[in-house]
Amino acid sequence: MGNRFNSQSLILVGCTLFVLYLAGIPLLMLLYGSIRSAPIGEPGAHFTFANYVKAYADKEFYLLLLNSVYYALGTCTLTFLIGTFLAWVSERTNTPFKKLFMVMSLIPFIIPGILSTISWILLLSPKIGLINIVVKEALGLEAAPFNIYSMWGMIWAESIHLYPLVFLLMSAAFRNMDTSLEEAALTAGSSTVQTFYTVTLPLMRPAMVSVILINFIRGIEAFEVPALIGVPAKISVFTTKIFLAIHQFPSDFGLAGAYAVTLLVISTIGVLIYGRITRKEERYATVTGKGYRPRVVDLGNWKWLTLAISFLIFLLAVILPIFVLLWSSFIPYYGVPSWELAGKMTWGNYHYILNYPLAATAFKNSFYLSVGTATLVMLLTSVIAWITVKTKLPGRAFLDTMTFIPIAMPGIVLGVSLIWVYLTLPIPIYGTIWVLLLAYMTKYIPYGIRAASASMIQINKELEEASFTAGGTWFQTFWKIILPLLMPGFTAGWIYISIIALRELSTSILLYSYNSTVLSIMAFDLWEGGQYTYVCALGVLMVLMLVTMAAIARKLGAKIGIAE
Amino acid sequence: MAETRDMVQIESLEKYFGDEKERVHVLKGVSLNIPEGSLYTFLGPSGCGKTTTLRCVAGLERPDGGKISIGGQTVFASGERVYVPTNKRPIGMVFQSYAIWPHMTVAENVAYPLTIQRKSKDEVKRRVSEVLKIVGLDGLEDRPAPKLSGGQQQRVAFARALVNEPKVMLLDEPLSNLDAKLRVQMRSEIKSLQRRTNITTIFVTHDQAEALAISDQIAVMHGGVLLEVGAPHQLYTRPKRRFTATFLGLTNLINGKVLEVDGDSRPGKMQTKKGVLSFIPAPGLKKDQAAVISIRPENIPLHKNKPEGLENVVDGTITEAIFMGDSYQCKVAVGDDIVAVHTHPFNTVSVGEKVYLHLDPASCNGLPADDKEGVDESNMGD
Repeated sequence: MGNRFNSQSLILVGCTLFVLYLAGIPLLMLLYGSIRSAPIGEPGAHFTFANYVKAYADKEFYLLLLNSVYYALGTCTLTFLIGTFLAWVSERTNTPFKKLFMVMSLIPFIIPGILSTISWILLLSPKIGLINIVVKEALGLEAAPFNIYSMWGMIWAESIHLYPLVFLLMSAAFRNMDTSLEEAALTAGSSTVQTFYTVTLPLMRPAMVSVILINFIRGIEAFEVPALIGVPAKISVFTTKIFLAIHQFPSDFGLAGAYAVTLLVISTIGVLIYGRITRKEERYATVTGKGYRPRVVDLGNWKWLTLAISFLIFLLAVILPIFVLLWSSFIPYYGVPSWELAGKMTWGNYHYILNYPLAATAFKNSFYLSVGTATLVMLLTSVIAWITVKTKLPGRAFLDTMTFIPIAMPGIVLGVSLIWVYLTLPIPIYGTIWVLLLAYMTKYIPYGIRAASASMIQINKELEEASFTAGGTWFQTFWKIILPLLMPGFTAGWIYISIIALRELSTSILLYSYNSTVLSIMAFDLWEGGQYTYVCALGVLMVLMLVTMAAIARKLGAKIGIAE
Repeated sequence: MAETRDMVQIESLEKYFGDEKERVHVLKGVSLNIPEGSLYTFLGPSGCGKTTTLRCVAGLERPDGGKISIGGQTVFASGERVYVPTNKRPIGMVFQSYAIWPHMTVAENVAYPLTIQRKSKDEVKRRVSEVLKIVGLDGLEDRPAPKLSGGQQQRVAFARALVNEPKVMLLDEPLSNLDAKLRVQMRSEIKSLQRRTNITTIFVTHDQAEALAISDQIAVMHGGVLLEVGAPHQLYTRPKRRFTATFLGLTNLINGKVLEVDGDSRPGKMQTKKGVLSFIPAPGLKKDQAAVISIRPENIPLHKNKPEGLENVVDGTITEAIFMGDSYQCKVAVGDDIVAVHTHPFNTVSVGEKVYLHLDPASCNGLPADDKEGVDESNMGD
């Protein structure tokens, strides 16, 4: 006799084992590998702390730690300032054109990190940087005023790429704040400034702290900017050090493991603190609720200043990088925009990219990986979200926790871990596209589960019970009722994951082989080879691909399920 | 039971909610039998276990003990470890929220129970148009579900529950989301639908007026216990439990002690603060037992002069008289207590007037006072 409760438990056990395989095993193998004297499989390997001794005894380790923390702190501070300013302007002031802000802030999301980094090198490099050359000529300077190859250059390139997240989160925080709480303080006789310090700030604090922490973690984990700018500038952080330890000859897996564990510990501490704070934040949120009209401050003539600053930010974050990418993709050799060069504009770079020996493989791999990862992750996390949200099965809390583990794993750490796993386990997928698929799935499960649970919570339980009472099995119910109702969240999660999967670099770079090359790797290699204009053409094609995929996904999602 | 077969049998059903630390006992040995073809109502305040019982019948909750059978087939038995999953039970269910799937049209919603069984297209089409006709929605087949009114959504929910020709229909407070006027209309439609289809129907509600109007039988539940079962008229006029008397409409309760009782067919006598009163005893009421007399406000004739030759006459003063159109609703102070009396609008009454109340023994139900499950609602009047 079939038993719905037993089949539920079976699904729970299946999901838990799979998530453990994806997230738990790499973690264990990383810890194991970091205390082995030689790579697994090599004869004579034994347990040792030598890797840690070697790592921590080196003076360079402390320089790395200092650099990483400096870089992450700089990034989270700068992103916080830019993002919060824009959020405040857009939610709480009467600055003109603020409706455009949301669009402008979403555009950087779709530009892969490697491209945004490249665009800033092309803008701020002392030799070829567009801004440098223009400013130098305009002011008659001897030397270039800006140098991207510096700590602050790195922080700038990272921040201008990461600030949109701050903008979105802080906008939501401003929007959800019950302004009657501020008004109550004003009517109680407190001045605007007093109100800001005694009411607004304490209410916003959880949101602020969590936003800063997220970007601290993202700064610590960042790979593209440190690899493209930091390495030539000889400014090392943990992620690039791990990369170099593996890419040197011979690879020092033990040392990479010791560094990776250290990086993992730092980001785990960040994630744990973040988890505590957001739980508290949710408590605040339930007290306040939603649907408030924000109190808009009339800035008077100052509104033109806020508009000018905002426009400057968008000029720097959106317009200039996109312009320099587009421009460089159409010119035969890199140079400052001029009428002379404009006359030589050509499709040559695109021809080159499309005829590049590896291009077809890279486009195909990236497309399959991006679509495959997004689809599989969303299907898996939809089932997991159903278990954690809709059932009362024991063990669902453990499953929920497991799905969040990967968020504390920086991409480069995951890469190191998976090298260990697939060099050890008798599963012959090392160096194939499958190992990348598993890596991407592991990495993006936390994002999928967020999108899926948020939607799942909104589905009335009676809708699925009606299917059971109508004679539907669990599978029929999930396929015909739950999944279509979940479509808005499913699609949103799918689009986000397919975008970030298509531009993934930090994990792929440790796991790819010739046949499993992806677009971001191809871009990285072209850049390392100094072929700037080709990279830009490739980047433009990547962005076009992303936009098309997102548009199709939205259409399909609306067709299958309920419209948003 | 008698000549009719029982469609649903529930034996000593037990259910707990919560984890080890905080276990709540929500069903405490509920047993009942539902005759085939009847409209059977679970009535009680929120938290009484009525919805949980219904969900156990549906298989949406798994009981912790007891036995349930539908149409002679055991669908749950704790001892024999039998548990038939919801989708294998011969039921149709209408949910409180109607649970109409918003991503489907009316026809797709109604056809769902058939399509998942892979019935032929022709048969599905025929059955769907049949049931839509029954619920009065023919012509709306292709309307998307979100574009339906509350009443229409409910009809779709009924059609969907009916389409599979279930042995039992389960209705979980189906009227609670409708406005007052539509509620009354749908109530009589449900009743006539049930009469026409003759499908055994379980109806869950907390609304006593709804229960009285619609049911063949009502099971009154409170605190996870089934208090009593009876036809609406019987439960209203001759309740056996104090909770039933107070929950089904307004009543006056007069505390006392049984002086003499002789079975439940002959009147007994009770010592109260208002003197010795005659009453009709509930079964099992014993001499010297603490008891209450329950008498409904509309059953108390009000006299200006002391009536002669009648039993159970008490005197009091009118402290409140509200004209309601179809009645005067009076509060009469009798000693320290207030008695609610509803009288015919032609009986002009005024506050401060001295009156005599005839507590006709035939209208006085003597009930056990120590009703452990019943809440203490010994409010005279109100």
